[in-house]
Amino acid sequence: MRLNVTVNGERRQADDVWEGESLLYVLRERLGLPGSKNACEQGECGSCTVYLDDVPACSCLVAAGQAEGREVRTVEGLAEGEALDPVQQSFVDAGAVQCGFCTPGLVVAAHDLLDRVPDPSDEEIREALAGNLCRCTGYEKILDAVRTAAGAR
Amino acid sequence: MSTAEDLPVLGAPVDRVDGPLKVTGQAPYPSDVDLPGQAHAALVQSTIAAGRITDLDTTEAEKAPGVLAVLTHHTVPRLPRGPMTSLGVSPPAPLQDDRIRHHGQHVALVVAESREQATAAARLVRVEYAPADPVLDFDDPRAVSVDDPWGLDSHRGDVDAGLASADVTVDAVYTTPDNTNNPLGLFSTLAAWEGERLTVYDATQWPAMVRETLAEVFGVPEVSVRVLSPFLGGGFGAGLRAWPHVILAVQAARDVGRPVKLVLTRPQMFTSVGHRPKGVQRVRLGATADATLVAIEHHSTSLLAVEDDDYEPFAAGSAVAYACPHVVTADRQVRANVPAPVSMRAPAHAQGNFALESAMDELACALDVDPLELRLRNHADVHPALGLPWSSNALRECYAVGAERFGWSRRPARPRSRRDGHWLVGQGMAGVSYPWYQAPSLARVTVTADGGATVASSGMDIGTGTYTVLTQLCAHLLGLPLEQVRSDLGDSDLPEAPQAGGSGLTSALGSAVADACERLLGALLELVRDDPESPLHGSDPEDVVAAGGGLRRRGDPGRGETYAAILARHGRPQLGADGASTPAQPTELGMALAGAFGAHFAEVRVDEDLGLVRVSRVTTVIDGGRILNEKTARSQVIGGVIGGIGMAVFEDTITDPTTGRIANATFGDYLVPVHADVPDLDVTFVGEPDRASALGVKGVGEVGLVGVAAAIANAVHHATGVRVRSLPITLDALL
Ligand code: FES
Ligand code: FES
Repeated sequence: MRLNVTVNGERRQADDVWEGESLLYVLRERLGLPGSKNACEQGECGSCTVYLDDVPACSCLVAAGQAEGREVRTVEGLAEGEALDPVQQSFVDAGAVQCGFCTPGLVVAAHDLLDRVPDPSDEEIREALAGNLCRCTGYEKILDAVRTAAGAR
Repeated sequence: MSTAEDLPVLGAPVDRVDGPLKVTGQAPYPSDVDLPGQAHAALVQSTIAAGRITDLDTTEAEKAPGVLAVLTHHTVPRLPRGPMTSLGVSPPAPLQDDRIRHHGQHVALVVAESREQATAAARLVRVEYAPADPVLDFDDPRAVSVDDPWGLDSHRGDVDAGLASADVTVDAVYTTPDNTNNPLGLFSTLAAWEGERLTVYDATQWPAMVRETLAEVFGVPEVSVRVLSPFLGGGFGAGLRAWPHVILAVQAARDVGRPVKLVLTRPQMFTSVGHRPKGVQRVRLGATADATLVAIEHHSTSLLAVEDDDYEPFAAGSAVAYACPHVVTADRQVRANVPAPVSMRAPAHAQGNFALESAMDELACALDVDPLELRLRNHADVHPALGLPWSSNALRECYAVGAERFGWSRRPARPRSRRDGHWLVGQGMAGVSYPWYQAPSLARVTVTADGGATVASSGMDIGTGTYTVLTQLCAHLLGLPLEQVRSDLGDSDLPEAPQAGGSGLTSALGSAVADACERLLGALLELVRDDPESPLHGSDPEDVVAAGGGLRRRGDPGRGETYAAILARHGRPQLGADGASTPAQPTELGMALAGAFGAHFAEVRVDEDLGLVRVSRVTTVIDGGRILNEKTARSQVIGGVIGGIGMAVFEDTITDPTTGRIANATFGDYLVPVHADVPDLDVTFVGEPDRASALGVKGVGEVGLVGVAAAIANAVHHATGVRVRSLPITLDALL
């Protein structure tokens, strides 16, 4: 099938998409956007988190066809040119990144949290990001990053 | 000459230099790399744990859309096993015969135009087996065991006499389960042949080793193999070997004459790239009534694959942890039909320390002394086996600072004496001595026409901050701003460095970079000294410093010139120097090489009715020698502590006892700590630069994890009065 989807504000098209493909697969393998990561491909780690029509979703659980005609925003679409989004900047500043594999998903999830709850409590941050696994950082600095980003936005 | 001391670059908590790449999704991990014309591969794995393949039918798979080849033991040529490495043997070559050694062993590889096609066709490969009854646990009488596999068993004094002379003894058995490294990044290999030249993008912590292995296995010269691993989605030890799937991807690329990419699935990460092996440990301790240790006996048995080896001396660390006259440590491994284990963050020590430090807590209870006091009384002021002073040791300070920050003195002595509603609250602690490890390393530093510098090494950044600290170090030594230094890492074509693992890379590679900088400055100095046009002409080397992006006269910074100016005048596009480091020899120095030390203090809350354990706060103090970047080092230690919490209360790879299949090989079933599990963490660094390391660095990648499990188990005992000797501590043990 042919898939039409707006990604990071750009209308994109992919041909010969197989019905069983996930949105994550389309983004990574067909649209040249490997920023969203594949760490489990079954909805258990959050590394593939993207916005689908402004709602965060595990793109590995979204069938490609479900994205037809919709808007997707990935980690590649958060920065304005050279200027990092405040969430991205605060992840760098706080030292919330180690290997960085979980980072794209966490940045999108944190971005969404702050859109919904501009000044979240620690409890709210912990709960909101509990679906995004990180094996390196121990999360503590991620918490700092989200607090800082909340202040900066 | 010397380098500028005025730049606050080294030791400063600078932001990681690769941060912007990572937060924008631009860092290329191995699974993100694509090559023109590449095909995709998917593995077929055995569904029995032992026996033989009687029939392997690939007809349907070969007819499936897009399929290019199916590799089986019938098609793969006889390949030699990879070489012996400094960390032990290479895994056996894959698809060499019809024998099955463990559940999840690779039995075929399907190559197709797309990953989805390869995965679909892999399901069409029909495998018939003649199963045998697998050996799956220690107590199977058929199991083959290996005593003292590494020659590290130790004896000091007479442990039986020591125990007989003790007023109080402890004798207990501790068990730890299989844990799976589970880095977030799925391991991935992209292999491309051009004639006899091979390029491989691989999820490895050790590009130089993978290059050597592939050259040997495929019979090509090492210079024609290039292995790249500039970014890796974590490893925790899983990337320390050239695993069978790597060999298969390279073979497949040769077979189909196109680049082939193989990305493991999460379930395959449980069977294909190692795990922390489970073990049983018996510890006997003896002490006199004044809490002086007189005997330590520590025996371990851990599980090993049937035809592979692994370095896992659980008990060895107990020989040097405390001052004690009578000590025996002994390790044994038992072969079983399980996937090959591998080092997982703090191999052996993570498990061995849990047993020893739990037993110490039991001894403190039996003696009725404070657990901290027991450790202080038996502190190893000198190396217990060598009798030599330590090259550095701030363990006492770790204890003192940790106790103060945690508020240890307010802890009630009796277990089960504090509660908060229905939560029982308890506090426990543990000490850590983490051994020293270093390998030789090379590095190159080059100044370029634009006045900046580049560090080059095959060593890689597993995510801990190698890019950042090498950039800082080079900037510091050459007197350059950070922005003008770049580090190129993770490419086997660059000067050879050891693995990113064993907490030793920063010290080894950092020392090589420092050596390269010194040589480079020497070469630059020679250029200017003999050059009448240079403002530094004829200068005494002692009077020249590296500062302000070039060489300057000490005390007269106006007199000097930039690297760019020096190179331009001599018509050179660049000037580079190679540096090397070799590990220090302890006894020659008259001191014992000290690794990192640490102390953890943990508070837990246990739900009295449900047995639920929550870790509410942890105070950790680490002596890691000189800390090159406090921000990245602290983050590493915090990550280690959370890894320790995972080991203590969550992580458990469960193997079905009859089939040998791993029953929880997903992130949904294999629990790791998530954001909501994170307690208040307090991490502090103490100590001095280590005297035996050129940079004074000891490495902090693993020490943060070791001891956390014991501190938590001891806190659980303090909260509930129940001693849990088996990890992970789950609610069933507390009901
Ligand atoms: S890759 Fe989508 S949740 Fe893990
Ligand atoms: S930084 Fe490595 S998984 Fe989060």
